[in-house]
Amino acid sequence: MSPWLALSPLLVVGIGSLTVMMVDAFSNKKDDLSILSSAILIAAAAIAGSLWFGGLPPQTPEILAPYLAVDAMSQFFNITICGGAALCAMLAGGYLREHDLERGDFYSMLMLCAFGAMVLSSATDLVSVFIGLETMSLGVYCLVAFRRGSARAIEGAIKYFLLGSFAAAILLFGSALLYGATGHTDLLGIGQTIRNGNAELGLALVAMSMLVVGLAFKVSAVPFHMWTPDAYEGAITPATAFMSVVVKAAAFAVMLRVLITCFGDPLSAGAASGWPPIIAVVAVVTMIYGNIAAIYQSNIKRMLAYSSIAHAGYILIGVVAAFRVQNTAVSAVLYYLMAYTVSNVLAFGSLIVMGTRGKEAVTFDDLAGAGKRHPMAALPFIIGMLSLMGFPPTAGFFGKYYVFNAALQADSGMHWLVIIAVIASAIGAFYYLRVIVYLFMKDPETGAPQAVAMKSGYVVTALVLSAYFVLEMGITPSNYLKMALAAAAGLV
Amino acid sequence: MVATYLPLLIMILVAVALALTLFLLAVVLGNKNMTPEKAMPYESGQSTGDARHIRLSLTFFLTAIVFTVFDIEAVFLFAWAAMFRELGWFGLMEMVAFMLILGVTLVYAFRKGAFEWEK
Amino acid sequence: MEVQLGHYLALASIIFGIGAIGFLTRRNVLIQLMSIELMLNSVNLTLLAFNRWASSDHAGQMFAFFVIAVAAAEAAVGLAIVVGFFRLHHTVHTDQANTLKH
Repeated sequence: MSPWLALSPLLVVGIGSLTVMMVDAFSNKKDDLSILSSAILIAAAAIAGSLWFGGLPPQTPEILAPYLAVDAMSQFFNITICGGAALCAMLAGGYLREHDLERGDFYSMLMLCAFGAMVLSSATDLVSVFIGLETMSLGVYCLVAFRRGSARAIEGAIKYFLLGSFAAAILLFGSALLYGATGHTDLLGIGQTIRNGNAELGLALVAMSMLVVGLAFKVSAVPFHMWTPDAYEGAITPATAFMSVVVKAAAFAVMLRVLITCFGDPLSAGAASGWPPIIAVVAVVTMIYGNIAAIYQSNIKRMLAYSSIAHAGYILIGVVAAFRVQNTAVSAVLYYLMAYTVSNVLAFGSLIVMGTRGKEAVTFDDLAGAGKRHPMAALPFIIGMLSLMGFPPTAGFFGKYYVFNAALQADSGMHWLVIIAVIASAIGAFYYLRVIVYLFMKDPETGAPQAVAMKSGYVVTALVLSAYFVLEMGITPSNYLKMALAAAAGLV
Repeated sequence: MVATYLPLLIMILVAVALALTLFLLAVVLGNKNMTPEKAMPYESGQSTGDARHIRLSLTFFLTAIVFTVFDIEAVFLFAWAAMFRELGWFGLMEMVAFMLILGVTLVYAFRKGAFEWEK
Repeated sequence: MEVQLGHYLALASIIFGIGAIGFLTRRNVLIQLMSIELMLNSVNLTLLAFNRWASSDHAGQMFAFFVIAVAAAEAAVGLAIVVGFFRLHHTVHTDQANTLKH
């Protein structure tokens, strides 16, 4: 297979983002950019899909081989990332017009971020991990700061930027030490050197903990979550959706690749494979903290931010389980990420739909009685909340089910992890249901601001698509699990 | 090896010690009656009063930021130039693609008015 | 006394430490940005030292090139955000960033 063909999803998004930039620079019509960018992203997802089902090469073309993997897993993430980004571009099409923020740079930035995320999720070398991570992160910092005049947006961006760069520096120092310990920058070479016992184990161990810190920051795991609520609240809602969906998926992809490829072999590495207990502890703290903090939020976006922290905790359980039952656990994580993508787009999209300019739903109180006034707008909100809660038959339920199942199969020592996760998600049900209670069973206080639903073809399209996938993944989960299993097999 | 540089080391230590001693002596012995005038930075007898309130135009920062990015991207050109013959046509094509992408961003910055000094 | 790998690593760790401490203790965004640059440069030093002593190829040098380029892009984005912050608050102290409640 020629390297051009193998890289085609990346090339489409990369050249597409440059095209969007040029259209933005030379045309005065801004509202077509939403269609253009989502069409390019969907095309990239379709190309990734046809590459995958048309038969991937047994070996990545030589010229790409050390840096980027062209395997089933990277195609899976290309589809998830491009799909999620396309939905976010549609949401932005409605949101930016409604709130009078129409500037074309949002779409080019969003596509460049998606490009970075795609590089990150197929990176098999510390250099490409770093480049992908920074391409994605730098774009996301700009997306958060998109509403330039808003103190909240700038504050969220500055916190996210400072902490994000700090974490990236730590991750980078870890990469440098890992290079020193093994003499390799490609993940496969690093893994082999550690397995053969030729690595400086002490140095590799320090490097591993630094890499874990950097990655834990990107997936917003406690105690590296401080930026999450502020950045989520400060950013405009389509950008928040993008952060919670694309950034998280790509960060988990690279976490799986680095941990399993470099430090994965349970037999050889000894001390160097000490990451499962660390991640397990982080997962427990993340789940408990995320769910409990979410209860105390009055702002819906902050609530969803803590919910995204909590979900990172559940996914981390799958990452830990991948240490023992690699295929089952990795496929569960992949399924979860896909389910989480569509559910979160649905939740943030419903939040967007629940607000015309000046009458947005910001807090729970704004939502009071909105379900009675706008039943059609409240319907996707309900489906999204039920899916995030993990209620059958939605995508979220099977996501949790597969991850917990993988953990139970992995090790009898992991039962307590699953028990804590179940308790945590029971706590989580409280604040998800609270949204539904406010929508339908509360009446707004007299004189209090009320959210008024907006009308936008873009947002409705995104909502219908994501609601369809949430239900489809919940009703016929086996098709998607099969896909995830095939993708997981690609990870060596 | 060490013996050669020993005098230099001693000289550095003496210099640092002397500077520190004089500085500390001034701190300990000097009497401090601070007035607002004395706290002001001294600049040739002129009042420095409003100097820090002078605003540089934001265009200045913008140009500086754009310059930084484009300037540093040149590191890849150096790496390519060092291996020019070994890389051959393939390297040339890669570099042309790289420059094209930079060119597109430059056009974008230009169209967006990043280089307009007078608005 | 010949300069060895260990010396470079010690120097790099010290610079990294200075950067990290500077980042955590200072409240001036510009100084925090400089601290991050310091940390990235200590990484470059580490990479080059390992490339010289502990590796057969030039992956470390190549990595350092990319770190330099990305650091410039990061500084540009950071400064742009700081300019936005300064426009709103007329200061560069992060203590002013307290609109969002916890």
